[in-house]
Amino acid sequence: MKINRLAREEVLRSLVTSEKGLSGEEAKRRFLEFGPNEIRETRKTPLVLRFLRQFTHFLAVLLWIGAGLAFLSEYLNPGEGMLALGLAILGVIVINALFTFVQEYRAEKSFEALKQLLPFHVKVLREGKEKEIYAREVVPGDILTLSGGDRVPADARIIETVYCMVNNAPLTGESEPVPLTAGACGGELIESRNIAFAGTSIVSGSAKAAVFSTGMRTEFGRIAHLTSAVEAGLSPLQKEIVKVTRVIAFLSTLMGIGFFLIGHFIGRSFWENFIFAVGIIVANVPEGLLPTVTLSLAMGSQRMAKKMALIKTLTSVETLGSVTVICTDKTGTLTQNRMEVKRVWFDRKFIAEHSIGDLRSGDIMTAARLCNNARFSDGQFKGDPTEVALLKAAGGTAEAGEAERIFEIPFDSERKRMTTLNRIGDTAIAFTKGALESVLPLCTRLRLGGESVPLDEELKKEIVSASHSLMDSGLRVLAFAYKVSNELGVMRNEKINNAALDSSLEANLVFLGLVGLEDPPRPEAAEAIGKCRGAGIRVIMMTGDGSRTALSIAREIGLVSGSPVIIEGSDFVKMRDSELRERLSAKEVLFTRMTPKHKMRIVTILKGEGERVAVTGDGVNDAPALKKADIGIAMGITGTDVAKEAADIILLDDNFATIVNAVEEGRTVYENIRRFISYIFSSNIPEIVPYLAYVLFRIPLPLTIMQILAVDLGTDMLPALALGAEKPTPAVMKQPPRPPGERLLNAKLLGRAYLFLGPIEAVACMSGFFLVLKLGGWQWGEFLPAGNPLYMQATTACLTAIIITQAANVFACRSDRESVFSIGLFSNRLIFLGIATEVLLQFFIVYHPWGNMIFSTSPISLHIWLVLIPFAFLLFFAEEGRKFAVRNLRRG
Amino acid sequence: MYKKILAAVNEHINSEVAARYALRLAKQLEAELFFCFVAEESMPQHTRCTAEDAVNRLYTEALDLNIRAERISILGDPVAEIGKIVRHEKIGLVFAATRREDIERRFYSGTVARSLSLKLPCSVALVRVVHMGKIHPSKILVPLKARVNKVKERAYFTAKMAEAFGGKIIVFHATKPITRFFHGEIHLTPVEWEKRLPKDISDFNAYIRKSDIELEGLLLPGHTSKGITIEAAAKRHDLIIMGASERPLFTFVLKGSPVEAVLRETPCDLIILNPRHEDK
Repeated sequence: MKINRLAREEVLRSLVTSEKGLSGEEAKRRFLEFGPNEIRETRKTPLVLRFLRQFTHFLAVLLWIGAGLAFLSEYLNPGEGMLALGLAILGVIVINALFTFVQEYRAEKSFEALKQLLPFHVKVLREGKEKEIYAREVVPGDILTLSGGDRVPADARIIETVYCMVNNAPLTGESEPVPLTAGACGGELIESRNIAFAGTSIVSGSAKAAVFSTGMRTEFGRIAHLTSAVEAGLSPLQKEIVKVTRVIAFLSTLMGIGFFLIGHFIGRSFWENFIFAVGIIVANVPEGLLPTVTLSLAMGSQRMAKKMALIKTLTSVETLGSVTVICTDKTGTLTQNRMEVKRVWFDRKFIAEHSIGDLRSGDIMTAARLCNNARFSDGQFKGDPTEVALLKAAGGTAEAGEAERIFEIPFDSERKRMTTLNRIGDTAIAFTKGALESVLPLCTRLRLGGESVPLDEELKKEIVSASHSLMDSGLRVLAFAYKVSNELGVMRNEKINNAALDSSLEANLVFLGLVGLEDPPRPEAAEAIGKCRGAGIRVIMMTGDGSRTALSIAREIGLVSGSPVIIEGSDFVKMRDSELRERLSAKEVLFTRMTPKHKMRIVTILKGEGERVAVTGDGVNDAPALKKADIGIAMGITGTDVAKEAADIILLDDNFATIVNAVEEGRTVYENIRRFISYIFSSNIPEIVPYLAYVLFRIPLPLTIMQILAVDLGTDMLPALALGAEKPTPAVMKQPPRPPGERLLNAKLLGRAYLFLGPIEAVACMSGFFLVLKLGGWQWGEFLPAGNPLYMQATTACLTAIIITQAANVFACRSDRESVFSIGLFSNRLIFLGIATEVLLQFFIVYHPWGNMIFSTSPISLHIWLVLIPFAFLLFFAEEGRKFAVRNLRRG
Repeated sequence: MYKKILAAVNEHINSEVAARYALRLAKQLEAELFFCFVAEESMPQHTRCTAEDAVNRLYTEALDLNIRAERISILGDPVAEIGKIVRHEKIGLVFAATRREDIERRFYSGTVARSLSLKLPCSVALVRVVHMGKIHPSKILVPLKARVNKVKERAYFTAKMAEAFGGKIIVFHATKPITRFFHGEIHLTPVEWEKRLPKDISDFNAYIRKSDIELEGLLLPGHTSKGITIEAAAKRHDLIIMGASERPLFTFVLKGSPVEAVLRETPCDLIILNPRHEDK
């Protein structure tokens, strides 16, 4: 039993308070016990620790070890350039850490938006006197005095009310104010009309309410708690990068140790072997991977912004590409949220859209006009889209002033109807509109042929059947009724209470008819749904509409084809998790008569089943689900600030098709990341092979560690980024979401990079090295010191060969199987910019004195370049040949 | 198991709310109930009056419910005096409320609640009251560790509390995620997790199933205290009942204490049970 079910006296007794409020001393005591009434963040890891964490993840640890080994090596055996290496690695760690930390920090602002929704000053009764106090001083047991314009500071049970209306929009997103009552209510506390919730505001009337929970224990605090405490966990890409780094760490350490031992057995000195081992590790660790991935995601997010999807957290770009389920709202996302009256059932017949104008002077359209809060002013209709549609259909612009509104029982979701009492001439007429199941039981007669006739069971069946017919065509159905009232005199004496007036106005009504409204689907929705189907993504629609209407719209946009599982809100709350899990496993699922607060449960269950879930939302109470989902998508137009802050992506046009476009972009980003990983990994082989040759064949070291870093952190970066800008191909949305078990770094990718592309580059770099040595008169077995000009030229040729072949490799890595000529040699112009930068950078390294100094290089002549360039063509056409063979094999 | 129950009451509203839990349990078990207020010498008269008023209200409520009840109001040291009463009356269970200031201290050391929990020769239920709108808890969340001591008494207490309020029990176990070096975290579905349910929790569930109480199990990987509070907040649970698993200082410094974290962040009332009966 909750406080909403208690009578007024029991409420006061259970809170140990009275209608005069608490004493000052008791309030102070309770303040000490329950603490300030404020929204505070759940305890989190301090900012400093979170920053430090960026330096302790696996890749960072790997790099720390590398830097440590370099410094140790410099200390024990100076002059080998290990100091510069150590410093360079430290630079990589710091840049990566700062980049990631800034991204994470920026993503955590949802809490601030929540805090700002609570008021500063409130009026309470203390020892019978009204006092204005700070909202943070409100305690359980305080009696609040609320009036129009006040914000509610804490969750409180209404004990007195005078026509009090509350706007729950900050909490529920429902724009219509709802009336508050003081009597006991059944059902759930959250849905009770006798509870004023913290963060909501009083629209009109006044009330007294006893506070029963404050601060983080209010409904608002609950949302804040969930918003700040729920963590979606690592994104799929982040998980993959962790795995990749572990595999690389293992492989490079294994190779480092292995070659250290080989060196030892063939008689090299400890230091030679040590430097060699460090070199192998440094060559293997893709230092440029994290910055390249981050920059690629940033570019992806910019492309998505152009497609009206604003990305808040970078990793969301790729996560969106991996989603398997999209849970979406209907109104405004799949539909246009532009209601239109399509059909009317009146006088026992259906009236089509084009004839509705003829009914304007009729009873049903008068009801639609007068039982309506939308208004026509300044040349436009203003109000709730449903009411605006009714007013438009009823000719609301022409008939203004025909009646005077005396009284209104507002619409609320529990009663599912509203009633207005109007003075028309000397007559008072009550008009009621609402859901059929709410209005029909109140009717005893039917308006037929200008008269009212008794409403028998047969007629009722006919009305229900007409309603089903309208709903089956995807229309939202509203029923209308009226009654000539004798309440005019009653209203004047103003002594009657609310409940009595409500029941008297809404009894023995005359049923007028039904109005079917359509919220047309967005024109692009069907195509977007089709794309999702092709891409193996399940779309689950969640709507407040009834099942028949929802089903019809779902059919119209191609969301369902057979007999979907339909779960209504009332059944949903009764279902156990296991039952819901089973129902959710169906291919086609619709949630109808739902409220946003149910979303988090759906998301949790789907995630538990291993699905990658995207969910849309706009209200404050959507925020926890938006945080919990792999991808939270907030509506840019209709969304609250809290929802936007909690989401990963904001849809600037509220359009479902934008989500699908963003998914396509996300999938492309993943493919692009794979492309540049192939590219980056290919250069590991020409970086390792020189070391192997150095150890095994006792030749001078063909490539220094600084030169390796020049490739990994310098020349490779821009071409890799250019690969990150490859456009989506039609195939990307014709394949199912990648399975959770699929690795970013799989055997196919490693085989292509390490066993095919890499060896060609290795041949090129070793050829360049030996060519320069031979031309310079070097003899096999001759030792060359580090500062020897011939040796420096030879290493420069080796480095240049890697750069040249990597330039060709950018083109090779643009696709897995398709020929570069078929995808368009010039379709990604950034590639050319990347290569141009790469070559310019190499010119700097080879021909500028600073470049020579930093990287121990020396200028080489043009004919060396001319000898090396054919290797680039060799790599490009060899890869084209491989792709051709693969395509043929697949066809075969 | 609990023939006599004592509820420690003082001038603070949370002790009165905590005593109401004792009241309902006593009604369910047909146990004798003692409302006990021990005033320290230095306590001002008007504060004593506030506490005595609370005792009187509770006593009246107990009589209305046909519970055999007694009121005790004495001067002295609360822990010592309550200890004497427990021994003299052979009390089986004591309900006491924790205070907000208690939770700021490490495992509420040096507080009356802590002393009662450690020094009394009977089981102690420490109640943290945070929400006064959930009069009768209908959804009770019971977080359990993999290894639970005194399973029987914990299950008995939980079952009787659920029966007293006509509530449903949700057993929750937060476990470490399964990880492999090269693979990272392994995802298991709830059904797969259920197969890995620790034996003590299965025993606990088996005991609960003996009575006609609705029971649901939930096993999730993740951070224990955060998991508990998120679960309680997300599904609007009304009450959490958990055990007082004290950790050594070293473990506490390294990992923190889930009970303390839940005490701080709980979105609903929380009962920490320190059971004593099974070992006797």
